[in-house]
Amino acid sequence: MITRRILMAAGAALMAGSLFAGVVQAADKPPVRIGAILPLSGAGAFDGQLAAEGMEAMASIINKKGGILDGRMIELVKYDDKGVPEEAVSAAKRAIEQDKVDAIVGGWFSAVALSLKEETRDKMLTIMTSSQHPKVTEEGHKYNFRLNATSTMNSNTYSKFICDKMGLKTIAFITINDDYGRLEAQNYEKLLGECGIKTLGNEYYNRNDTDFTTALTKIRALKPDAIYVSAINTSQGATIYRQIRQVGYKGTIIASAGNMNPKLVELSGPALEGVYSVSLFAPDSDNPVLQEWIAEYKSQFSNEPAFIGSLGAQAVQLLADAMNKVGDSRDYDKIAAALKDGAQETLLGTFEFDDKGQALQQAYLIRVVDGKITSVKD
Amino acid sequence: MTNRFLSILAIAVLAILPTLTGSSYLHHLMVLWMIFALMALSLNIIIGYLGELTFGHAAFFGIGAYAGVIFGMDYGVGGVAALIIAGAIAGLFGLVIGYVALRIVGPQFAILTLGFGSIIYTITNYWVDVTRGPMGITNIPPLSLGTEWLTFTTAKQYFYLSFVCVVIFAYVLHALVSSRTGRAFIATRENPQLASSIGIDIFRMKLLGFVVATVVAGVAGALYAHYVKVITPELMGLQYMSAFVIMVIVGGRGTIVGPIIGALIYVGLLELLRPLGAMRLVIFAALLIASVIFLPGGLVSLWRKVFYRRGSAGDVAKEA
Amino acid sequence: MRQPLPLMSGHMDFVVLGQQIVNGLVNGMAYVLIATGLTLIFGVLRIVNFAHGEFYMLGAFITYYIITLMGVDYIWAAAIATVVVAGLGILANVLFFWPLRKEHEFTILLSSLGLALLLTNGGEVIFGADPKYIPSPFSEEIVELGDIFVTQQRVLVFGVGVVVLVALYYFIKNSTMGKMMRATAQNPEGAALTGINIRKVHAVTFLLACGLAALAGALVGPTAMIFPTVGSWAVLKGFIVVIMGGLGSIPGALVGGLLLGVIESLGGGYISLGFAEAIGYAIIIVVLLWRPQGLFGVARKA
Repeated sequence: MITRRILMAAGAALMAGSLFAGVVQAADKPPVRIGAILPLSGAGAFDGQLAAEGMEAMASIINKKGGILDGRMIELVKYDDKGVPEEAVSAAKRAIEQDKVDAIVGGWFSAVALSLKEETRDKMLTIMTSSQHPKVTEEGHKYNFRLNATSTMNSNTYSKFICDKMGLKTIAFITINDDYGRLEAQNYEKLLGECGIKTLGNEYYNRNDTDFTTALTKIRALKPDAIYVSAINTSQGATIYRQIRQVGYKGTIIASAGNMNPKLVELSGPALEGVYSVSLFAPDSDNPVLQEWIAEYKSQFSNEPAFIGSLGAQAVQLLADAMNKVGDSRDYDKIAAALKDGAQETLLGTFEFDDKGQALQQAYLIRVVDGKITSVKD
Repeated sequence: MTNRFLSILAIAVLAILPTLTGSSYLHHLMVLWMIFALMALSLNIIIGYLGELTFGHAAFFGIGAYAGVIFGMDYGVGGVAALIIAGAIAGLFGLVIGYVALRIVGPQFAILTLGFGSIIYTITNYWVDVTRGPMGITNIPPLSLGTEWLTFTTAKQYFYLSFVCVVIFAYVLHALVSSRTGRAFIATRENPQLASSIGIDIFRMKLLGFVVATVVAGVAGALYAHYVKVITPELMGLQYMSAFVIMVIVGGRGTIVGPIIGALIYVGLLELLRPLGAMRLVIFAALLIASVIFLPGGLVSLWRKVFYRRGSAGDVAKEA
Repeated sequence: MRQPLPLMSGHMDFVVLGQQIVNGLVNGMAYVLIATGLTLIFGVLRIVNFAHGEFYMLGAFITYYIITLMGVDYIWAAAIATVVVAGLGILANVLFFWPLRKEHEFTILLSSLGLALLLTNGGEVIFGADPKYIPSPFSEEIVELGDIFVTQQRVLVFGVGVVVLVALYYFIKNSTMGKMMRATAQNPEGAALTGINIRKVHAVTFLLACGLAALAGALVGPTAMIFPTVGSWAVLKGFIVVIMGGLGSIPGALVGGLLLGVIESLGGGYISLGFAEAIGYAIIIVVLLWRPQGLFGVARKA
């Protein structure tokens, strides 16, 4: 962490120096401040860290090219929401009133995102990255946007693939006991049922569980052709994948959409080899902005660039482009309109926002091959 | 006499505190302070006056939150009625659990309360039809007393509402402690055998204290729910539970001012330490240890040490 | 949504039952190892140590770092980690618990809570918030007992656990230090009066307890992922078992731990997964109300 700070400080000093040496006298322009409200301690700390790193990498890229709005640098101000709603509210208030940020990016846990959007309602431009609770955009406001796909959006692509290409007759689910998990199970059970795949069973686990052998023993006894694993938390996911093999199950494993990341692959070891999933982020895609971001990320941080980081980067990129288009960092009506106006080109591809601020992104089929996440081209 | 004057002064200062700043950020912190102070005061009855450690208290906070919200949203009973219902339901749970558990003392009691608290947490997490489980209840409408202008929407209004609750409760506690019942509490805590030998029904004392504590916790929970507008079962979890215990001990258990100060420290210090980033909680933990070791009676004992000479008869009652 | 278990032969049902019981016994042994240390500290020193779970966490993490940074084999790494953390336990005693021994039990409890917070958050800062996996050669290899599958790692947990407990039992029963510990447990002032070096007893108790916790962490760690907050889970389970078994009773920790593990497994397997923990708690409440001193405990005179 300290090395990162030194790097950023050095980078900032270099930039300041080069600006002075340059022709354009931009040194007196105030930075554009983006508040990042993320879990930096407690349960979601690792994911929060990845998101912050993703945002910083993108901000560095933009700043190296001269910043936005004619020379203003992007500055990230980070706040820890501890994964708890009232902390997010404190952070948002502080960001808006004391630190006077221009925009807010945040919302990993659903409860947090829901409180956060109420705090910024009609006041502050907000981009929610990963929370998947439908109400985030259903009851959103005119300055509120969300990047991640809801699970219903992913399921259409994925269920088609599972139905057509995997040759399964029966399946069992192990999902997390919350909105996301329950919706997921319901959805897929229906979609897969329609093409003749029978659901033999469904086990729900809790947020704080660390051992899954009881549930997996039950599932194994049902002898399904495949087990569908729905796990957002990397630690739980890796444990489940490993324990599936440890209880002696030999069938196919299917990973839920939107939850694949390099850490998961690293921790799950051989258990995840050959497993399919769906993601908005395919690291081997040939999108030049994505490759540039990956390179920048790797030069600054020791973690592998992951999906959650790419969403953070996408948020920064969208904000920068929209602010540039409008020519102002605080005219939220115009910026929101610019975001909703047609195709947005980002490192994850081109997409549009619907009028509630929900991003309609392209999902890619991916597979773990030789310990790496690769896209599947059919 | 000095004590009474100081109390009135303190109340006056707190009453005008929100007007000294326009920042809704600071108002927000003040509201959290007041609600947590209420929680800490109620927990203090069990830890400070009954002398028993409990790990289930956050469950009553959660019960109050959910009860207040469910009755408000599903049955249209809003406003102050919701607060009363929340307190009553929490108190009911407190009565049942207390009746079963209070015959046990010490660490066993702590684990018993932990067990009950966890069961309640699990039920809340799974009874999706009523509590919406882990998704929680969102979009909670603001507290209102019926008319438009008596609807509480801003932080400042919630501050005054909670502040009033704190003052009332503190006064009730003070009266209780100075009364015969209060002295019976202290006797029960200090020397149970002696207390029962002079005819004090220990069990009834404890049950009474326990129920009062849970009722207030329920009210605090309902206030919290209407203010933050989002509740999840995590309210009953370990994070909140340890926070409340810390507030009571660091502030000073067995006193009235102690828990209020403890809540202030918890809210204020954590916010102040924000710029430290990841080290924030480490420093907080270090300060907690230091305060426990050097000031085992809590911060209130610091005051007493400084003003030792000024002891008056009123102080003895406050000693309790 | 759930279909009932397909009625294959009764054989299958027995296999599943057997599997769940075996799972429960292994999980239970983990609880036993954690609880034994906790009950030792309470029984001998009358200290409620909330930071106990942190030594479990440290055992796991130090094992991880020894393997990944120094390339040492898993078994040696686990052994070294156990010894190192046992030493850290003595340090903790010297810095925190010994100086506070005359204070009110709440004070000690609270400062142990503070220590726990310090170690957890310190762990997050030093080790990072990302989960880690301890690479053990035993965790993927499966042992088949008939139709029942157990990984070698889990067999290791159970086996080593039994061996260590038996060793501990004989140590406390027969060795001089063991007798001193028992004397201190029965009557601290009396023990001091007869010339027992209480300071040494303190140190040895912490050495044993933290060593046990660390061993548990090193052995159980590879069965899942490890992260800095795992300490609070460990100490919670530990306390439940200790109270159920009886404060200060090692047989109580053994029976209580295994019982809890099996109850959770069967409850989760046959009643409801979500309620597995709650069922465990319910059983404990029943036990405590029936016998407040715990299954093997001695009724405590207030």
